[in-house]
Amino acid sequence: MISIKNVTKKFPSVTALNDVSLEIKDKEFFGLLGPNGAGKSTLMNLMIGYIGADAGDIYIDEEKISQHNLAVRKQIGFVPQSIALYDDATAFENLEIFGSLFGIRKNLLRAVIAENLNRVQLYERRKDKVKNFSGGMKRRLNIAASLLHNPKVLLCDEPTVGVDPQSRNAIFDYLVKLNEEGKTIIYTTHYMEEAERLCSRIAIIDSGKIISSGTLDELLQLLPYEQTILINKNKTTESKLELFKSFGKLLNEQEKYELKPFDHLKLSDFFKAMEEHGIDYNSIDLHKPTLEALFLHLTGRRLRD
Amino acid sequence: MKTIFHLIKKDYKLFWLDKPAVSLTFLVPVVLIYIFGSIFGRPDTAPTGIRIGFVNNSNNKIAKKLESVLDTTKTFKLVKNYTDDKGNVIKFDTNSIKDYVIKGNISAALVLPEDAFTDTSTSFKIKFYYDPKNQMEMQIIEGLLQQTVMMQMPGIFMASMQHKAKEYLGEQKGIMFNKKIASLVSQYYGVDTSKILNWTNFNFDEDTSDADTSKKTANVFKDILQLDKEQLVGKEVNNPNATRSVGGWAMMFLLFALTGASTSLFDENKSGVILRILSSPVSRTDILWSKYLYNISLGVIQLLVLFFMGYLLFNIDIFSNFFNLMLMIIAAASACTAFGMLIAAVSKTSAQANGLGTFIILVMSAIGGAWFPTFILPPFIQALSKGTLVYWSVEGFLDVLWRGANTIEILPYVGVLLGMSAVINIFSIIRFKKGNIF
Repeated sequence: MISIKNVTKKFPSVTALNDVSLEIKDKEFFGLLGPNGAGKSTLMNLMIGYIGADAGDIYIDEEKISQHNLAVRKQIGFVPQSIALYDDATAFENLEIFGSLFGIRKNLLRAVIAENLNRVQLYERRKDKVKNFSGGMKRRLNIAASLLHNPKVLLCDEPTVGVDPQSRNAIFDYLVKLNEEGKTIIYTTHYMEEAERLCSRIAIIDSGKIISSGTLDELLQLLPYEQTILINKNKTTESKLELFKSFGKLLNEQEKYELKPFDHLKLSDFFKAMEEHGIDYNSIDLHKPTLEALFLHLTGRRLRD
Repeated sequence: MKTIFHLIKKDYKLFWLDKPAVSLTFLVPVVLIYIFGSIFGRPDTAPTGIRIGFVNNSNNKIAKKLESVLDTTKTFKLVKNYTDDKGNVIKFDTNSIKDYVIKGNISAALVLPEDAFTDTSTSFKIKFYYDPKNQMEMQIIEGLLQQTVMMQMPGIFMASMQHKAKEYLGEQKGIMFNKKIASLVSQYYGVDTSKILNWTNFNFDEDTSDADTSKKTANVFKDILQLDKEQLVGKEVNNPNATRSVGGWAMMFLLFALTGASTSLFDENKSGVILRILSSPVSRTDILWSKYLYNISLGVIQLLVLFFMGYLLFNIDIFSNFFNLMLMIIAAASACTAFGMLIAAVSKTSAQANGLGTFIILVMSAIGGAWFPTFILPPFIQALSKGTLVYWSVEGFLDVLWRGANTIEILPYVGVLLGMSAVINIFSIIRFKKGNIF
């Protein structure tokens, strides 16, 4: 469906993308996970032909995407990171403006707008100015504006930034539905929870390079451990920090300590030591590791550093 | 108190970081004060080198003297010849100088007729042809001209009278008569008797150095000068004052509107709308063209509305020369749009563009003739004004509305404005390609 082949993009002060290659399959929900400044938005901008690559090519169904190939853009819908709408225009007027750029005939466009507004539950507010919308409503309209021409692929560049949890869930449900209906979705985020929840395959990007990609399970298998150990904070555990560190890398989280075990650690050895030092089993919990842990393992940094 | 100090310091810091605000606070007023000060604040710098046509058809000695006085004054530059199509330099006669005024080459002409002053004349005749398309300019020219002529006339005329007295009464009786007359004039108007008598020697240059006396004598003899004024252009204009000013003010507001429209690119880019538009089958060139054509059409509509309001409110005649008015409107809108695009192209932010735009618009309006006639500006600013699109637009509109100029006659204005548009647009496109708007 989409082939990104050895793409490099340099800006005067930084190499935003360095020899990036990816294959995204038809009807896939593909996640691009990385911290701010990793190169996610640059890759998105290349995929819509907003900027050109210094090296490498991007294809959609074997048609090359470039700044000069305007026709190929009809296959792509793009949800920008910012709320790219006209505040003083109504919801309907906004969609009318953006829909008309794809050459949709007026009557058809009106029907398409009504349908899309219905789907994001904004039809009743179609005559209201966007500046009177809540953040979540604006985000939903931002997505609807990208779907008017019924694109094969929807590129979402961090589409839930600054949105409350309820609206975020509504957006997630909508995107999942779109994917189930057959749209290929490429979703960038720096929230590992979003990538884990939504994406069937994920590429982790950092400093302009794809450092790993695969399904969630495939990625987590890259970790040298299968379980993360969570330890409650209390007087006993706080006095045993050196002991914990002898079993792995200890992270001081807000409410708990998170222990990422060393390679080949036997959990039986760990629990035996805990018993010997009088630490209650109830203070200890085992969890499946997250992409956050993987990112830390691969880069030595946290996603949100 | 310390807290208040820190807050004040914070405000100054933010103010200094906002360069457009700094420029609007200091630079714009300083430049405008300088321009206005150059016009109204320096009495020693009255307008100089004002071009007026001059034809002397009289062989009279006094007429020749007047010509030489006007020739040497710094206030006026007499235009006595013109160059024909074949390149021959031809001296003006009465008809050709009138035609020269009618065509708008000069604002006024002074003709000393053959019978300007004869042996039987009781007054000195001067014919003054003028085109009051610019009222302030004409009032100043007329005032300065009368002042210059009147300064000389009393002396000239007194000399003539004394000569006549001697001729008819004989040498001795003539002298007595002149002394009596001088004594009477002195008694009633406070003019020194010896000076009046001294005019017999045509020594009026010396006498005029006494400004106070000259003014008094000027009052005495004001009826002696027969200044016959004839308006050659604009007699049929419905509302001269409104017709004169509508173009200038319309231009200033057009510039503000179109600069604002152009700098909207910054807002669209900041909100991400440009990115969204460019993710659809739209190129950057499409965006630039659409902005350009939108701005021109908006400018045309704005000017049409303003002129139409001028018609409704002040009865300005916009329909009798409507085609040429439209040509000027399109050319002016095109140039103003190019200016707006240039401001957007050379700026990095919307605030910067607005600050720079406001500064240049106000300065261009001031020196380009939108607020007052350019001839009262210092010569070097007059030269600068010809580089502004405001100057060419205001002059063009005035020619169309005031003179009823035809298409050929407004071609220079249209040509210069479209030429400016082309040059500015090329520069802007280069800047847009290198710039960071989108």
